[in-house]
Amino acid sequence: MSTNEGTETIQEQIVALLPRLRRFARNLVRTPHDADDMVQIAVERALLHLDQWHSDARLDSWLFKILRNAWIDEVRSRGRRAKLFMPEEAGEHVGEASMEREIDRLSVEAALGRLPHDQRLAVSLVLVEGLAYKDAADVLDVPIGTLTSRLARGRDALAAMLRPREGNPS
Amino acid sequence: MSVSNETLMAYADGEVDAATRAIVETAMRDDPEIRRRVEEHRALRETMQGAFSEVLAAPVPQRLIDAARGHDAARAGNVVDLGYVRRAAGYAPRRLSSWRPIAMAASVLLGVALGYLGWHGSNTWVTTNSSGELLAGAGLAEALSNQLSQERSPGLVAITGLSYRSKTGDFCRTFSLAGAHASSGLACREGDAWKIRVLAQTAPAPNSSNFRPAASGVAPAVRAAVEESIDGEPLDRAGEIAARNKGWAATPGR
Repeated sequence: MSTNEGTETIQEQIVALLPRLRRFARNLVRTPHDADDMVQIAVERALLHLDQWHSDARLDSWLFKILRNAWIDEVRSRGRRAKLFMPEEAGEHVGEASMEREIDRLSVEAALGRLPHDQRLAVSLVLVEGLAYKDAADVLDVPIGTLTSRLARGRDALAAMLRPREGNPS
Repeated sequence: MSVSNETLMAYADGEVDAATRAIVETAMRDDPEIRRRVEEHRALRETMQGAFSEVLAAPVPQRLIDAARGHDAARAGNVVDLGYVRRAAGYAPRRLSSWRPIAMAASVLLGVALGYLGWHGSNTWVTTNSSGELLAGAGLAEALSNQLSQERSPGLVAITGLSYRSKTGDFCRTFSLAGAHASSGLACREGDAWKIRVLAQTAPAPNSSNFRPAASGVAPAVRAAVEESIDGEPLDRAGEIAARNKGWAATPGR
């Protein structure tokens, strides 16, 4: 990137990707506000590291990867941050309860939310975000074979959860 | 002929090469069960494409748009100039390797800090040295040097958040400022000054009914800077007292 103009172009591309980043973040963090916080952290990190993005790579998968890594950092440091960054919020985390509420009305999201984490991300990247297997594997830092086996297991579990209970033809 | 479930899945996802595609399509013609399974994969794919679709349609919070454009999260006026970051790289080469990740975050603070300097016409909270680096003014420096974390008392403008040792061995502390220009930031002790690494305005409540500051008033830019630079865990109370007693002097790397 050699000009401010180039930077501005990328910034506008990131703006355009914000809805998808928010959607992906919902698979990582349960409460919408926390998911948006993760998106904000990821976007800020992306701007700090724009020099690491190669324009031949997909911007969306690069951002997904940063978002996922930011989330991993978040989980790793959750203990200390819970103590030091968010003292007032300590009692506000009712993720389980709000998730149970949503199961009643959001079957697809709820089914996704019930998958093990690895499978959920594989399904989310390939089926929801439409990434190619190799791009999804890159986001998750796993070999493509690992990605496909997580995806296959996640799909089987989803299909079982979403299968109509009555004998609707499908 | 048996075709593995993963192969059927990859076919449904358009992820197989021509030879495999031919094999799968032959198997689909010959075996209704295989055809059914491919259809099931496709149907699930279509179903999942709709997951969280309300998020796609929902308006994106302005703070995220501002973050993507490199503006201060709180107020659109604080424009980040990426050219500044590059100039800053030449401006502080010694710090480049360790502080580069947050150089841009540091640049975010310029607009805010200039606001402070301009609005208040004093250097109580934020000031600059002769090289133009941002430093804690007397009032903030006093808090950073003496106040233990989370100490609050009525009328206190500067509250220190957490303290830690950075990867370069310097002691750094987050802080928040109350008042008309409420903000949070990160300062690190270098020599006998507290250099401000990040300063982000706390968002004023545009729709105060449902506004809630991100992570208890610590701006994401500050949190990100801490995450990038922290070495190990934050100091506990005893650690803060020990560091304070030594004047927050940098300690050599372990």
